[in-house]
Amino acid sequence: MALKTLVVNAGKCTGCRTCEMACSLVHENKCSPQLSRVRVIKWEAQGISVPATCANCTTPYCMLVCPAGAVSVQAETGALIMDESKCIGCRACSTVCPLGQAIYHPEKRVAIKCDLCGGDPACAKFCPSGALEYTTVDQSLMARRRQFYKKVIEGGEH
Amino acid sequence: MYGWNGKRLRVDLTTGKITVESIDAKFRKMWLGGRGFNSALLYQEVGPEIDPFDAENRLIFGVGPLTGTFSPSSGRTTITSKSPLQYPCGFGDANMGGHWGPELKYAGYDQLVIQGKAEKPVYLWIDDDRVEIRDAGHIWGKTLSETDAIIKEELKDPDIHIAAIGPAGENLVRFACVINDVSRAAGRTGMGAVMGSKKLKAVAVRGTRPVNLARPKEFFEECAKVREKMKADIMVQMLYDQGTWLLTMPANYEQGWFCWRNFQAGFHPEADKLRGERHRDHYLAHREGCFACSISCGRFSKIPGGKYAGEKTGGPEYETLTAVGPRLGILDIEAVIHNSLLVNEYGMDSCSLGGAIGWAMDCWEKGLLTSADTGGLSLEWGDQETVDKLIKMIVYREGLGNILAEGSYRSALHFNRGFEYTMTVKGNDMSQDDPRGLGFAFGIGFGTGRRGGDHLQGLPCLELTGQFYPGLVEKILGTAEAESRLSPVKKPEMQKYQEEVKAVGDCLTMCTFSHSWSFAVLPEDMARILSACTGVDYTVEDLLKIGGRIATLERAFWNRLLVGRLEDTVPERFTGEPMPVGPNKGTVFPFEELRPLYYKVRGWDEATGFPLDEVLAEYGLDELVEELAPYRRAYLEKMG
Repeated sequence: MALKTLVVNAGKCTGCRTCEMACSLVHENKCSPQLSRVRVIKWEAQGISVPATCANCTTPYCMLVCPAGAVSVQAETGALIMDESKCIGCRACSTVCPLGQAIYHPEKRVAIKCDLCGGDPACAKFCPSGALEYTTVDQSLMARRRQFYKKVIEGGEH
Repeated sequence: MYGWNGKRLRVDLTTGKITVESIDAKFRKMWLGGRGFNSALLYQEVGPEIDPFDAENRLIFGVGPLTGTFSPSSGRTTITSKSPLQYPCGFGDANMGGHWGPELKYAGYDQLVIQGKAEKPVYLWIDDDRVEIRDAGHIWGKTLSETDAIIKEELKDPDIHIAAIGPAGENLVRFACVINDVSRAAGRTGMGAVMGSKKLKAVAVRGTRPVNLARPKEFFEECAKVREKMKADIMVQMLYDQGTWLLTMPANYEQGWFCWRNFQAGFHPEADKLRGERHRDHYLAHREGCFACSISCGRFSKIPGGKYAGEKTGGPEYETLTAVGPRLGILDIEAVIHNSLLVNEYGMDSCSLGGAIGWAMDCWEKGLLTSADTGGLSLEWGDQETVDKLIKMIVYREGLGNILAEGSYRSALHFNRGFEYTMTVKGNDMSQDDPRGLGFAFGIGFGTGRRGGDHLQGLPCLELTGQFYPGLVEKILGTAEAESRLSPVKKPEMQKYQEEVKAVGDCLTMCTFSHSWSFAVLPEDMARILSACTGVDYTVEDLLKIGGRIATLERAFWNRLLVGRLEDTVPERFTGEPMPVGPNKGTVFPFEELRPLYYKVRGWDEATGFPLDEVLAEYGLDELVEELAPYRRAYLEKMG
């Protein structure tokens, strides 16, 4: 079976930041946007919000650059796992991440990152609008195509 | 500490002194958070002699133990002050969603108290424990979106959250509001005018601290369970889909409480021009969620073509779309969105703006205002050009606008006529909800509530949507008959129950739509979530008692101003004019029958409308027994 991944449907995001709260609570037992692996970027005056999260890349710069060997791939989920006990806090991973991920725990002073919650990511589970989904890339693209062609068939605006 | 921060930030704008006080366990236990914290502090610190625009008035921002957590829809903020709008000026509070409240929580505070007055315009910058009063000379006069952009640029952080006033607040328009995140308003009772009187343009906040939880695993599970319930809830789903616009069709065609022409009627045959599907399909740019909300009823609208092409704004929601639309005889959806953009940018409460202009149009129709009074303006119902012009005249206090900026009631005082067309209670304009159709528990709240004419005293939706929750109304009130909107059965009891639940929700800063429109969140859910969060165990009874205590204290605030039974009225239109058209044709609201029954269940004295001594004692407000006694005597004298 194809690996699932976190898919971002930016147009659906309501900017509520439930994902931030779910993530921080599940991973850190506290509620704090700063401790959340996913963050919502907001442009209030435009009414636009986008959840920014780790893509768990195929060629993971964070893993390649880590001098402490703290990042490894979890085979079952494809998640890149940060071993906080190995992390030396150099933030090389954040420096090279093209998406601005591999965040920094302000108290522990180590890098922390999305681990897909072991295959049931809380951010997607509690996202009220479907902006964050845990699915395969193929299924998510098929859903978008279906939505597009439904409009074409119905002759509506698109 | 878990849940709360236990800290109050106090800023004196006269002296520039900034202090942090502790909020002790006893205060937390009595008043819970948010609205409770604020009302208690206002009662203590703002006596009856203080005028709303005095330096000594307080402007209080409050959040609660669940603010900024995973608890669903719990990121709101209450702003409390003595209100400049009511007549006489009395208890004011307003509640806003958005993301400002959680940011204050992360900065380490449960409450922010502003007192004194700055000499020249300033704004407050709260960066965790670094708090700074900064010059706002260059922002004074700017609209909400301009203010937000300039401050974010100046502080070099686009992720801070800003609560601000617009030109209406600066110009002391008595129904000016405070808005955060550009379009989330704390609308009612003129909190923005108080802020303007203090020369405080904005409060910008950045917080980096976590909210600690007593029992995090349990807290997560309780919140997750409630979120699942909300996801499956029909009201939540409808609110997500159409926002509060969903109300237009049932309000008009089924229930007859659509606000047409300043409440002249509760029905209009073409109300469907403002139906939710039409907005969703043609004007909805995005759905908006307040902090950690699993409903996301918020709208962001964009006008694709026509005269107002390209305009976009947060909202409007049902109260605004009706206030700046049908209340003024306007059914053009694009005009409605345009007007709501104006009220957001200038920072005004749409309900009281609609109340003021609606009053003037009503008076014009009756010949009570003529062009000699209006400076040549003709005030025909539905004239969008005039409305557009008048909104700006009110904000900048020009001509007739300078009078209407005082609110509808003071406008009637100015001209000494048209009182019967001010749709106000205690001087505060009715929100766009006609008790001749909406329901009788709602009506009791309009007549007796803390703000004056407003639906948010309890939002007693048990009589509106309760029927969608089989067995719920019967379980709470002992009879399913109370499900019927226009039945008087158990309505005083319903209003009491709902105002207590709502007061608790406002302390937790949990959205009323989650627990009293949708009933997905029940008081037992609140108790479980709150207990796991704070480590202090609460029962439903504990919570309802806190709710009752808050309602009682807010009543005492009014009583100290010698406001009681005589001032508990609703506009004559509701009690004296049978609904002329629509599904409730012929209905009047029997306020005088229900009021004494409500007093009885609330424990208020029938003669004066003051809380009885034994009720004060029961709520642990013993010191109020002695304090209120002279005011009760004075009120009896006033009554003759």
